[in-house]
Amino acid sequence: MADTGADQLDDTIVSEPLDLVRLSLNERVFVKLKGDREIRGRLHAYDSHCNLVLSDVEETVYIMDDEDEDLKTIQKQSEMLFVRGDAVVLISPPTQS
Amino acid sequence: MSNGTAESPFSPSAEKSEISSNNPSAFLSQITGAKVAVKLNSGVEYRGDLQCVDGYMNIALEQTEEYVDGVLKNQYGDVFIRGNNGMLVFCFRFVRKFGRYRRIMILNFLG
Repeated sequence: MADTGADQLDDTIVSEPLDLVRLSLNERVFVKLKGDREIRGRLHAYDSHCNLVLSDVEETVYIMDDEDEDLKTIQKQSEMLFVRGDAVVLISPPTQS
Repeated sequence: MSNGTAESPFSPSAEKSEISSNNPSAFLSQITGAKVAVKLNSGVEYRGDLQCVDGYMNIALEQTEEYVDGVLKNQYGDVFIRGNNGMLVFCFRFVRKFGRYRRIMILNFLG
């Protein structure tokens, strides 16, 4: 009974962290970047540096105003975006239900 | 059990029985499935179940909660955290042992 569950998930198994990214190819992902930036978009390609190619991207930039102490956000849209890997903090695949 | 409480959890014999490797990333690989907290340089903390770690200390977490200044900000199903790139990663493992929680901290000074 133990071997039935283990083998059938062969290509969905996460044996290294980048497998999570591989499983998110062609899905919409959430990416957190350095400098208080977040992007959501469809992941087309990635490599081991976490360089990413995304399409239909919504970028949100958070700007903390020190004088007023309020948080401003700037929204940007891009059709296609290349993200250099060193800016990447976190990649979250879409929540699988 | 009583002699277990007497010795330090970090004494060589205790380590031998529990942690067979002396290599930090191999140790992290051994505790996959454990609840961990990963604290980034920015102060943001991610708590979740450790799925796996690689040589860059990229980390995959499951059932992740994002805390900023101790306040829950976000929840993710799965999360990939980029490991290298000069950021400092703290990992905490909470182990129920001798009736109390023991905390192991690993510092990653990369970059």
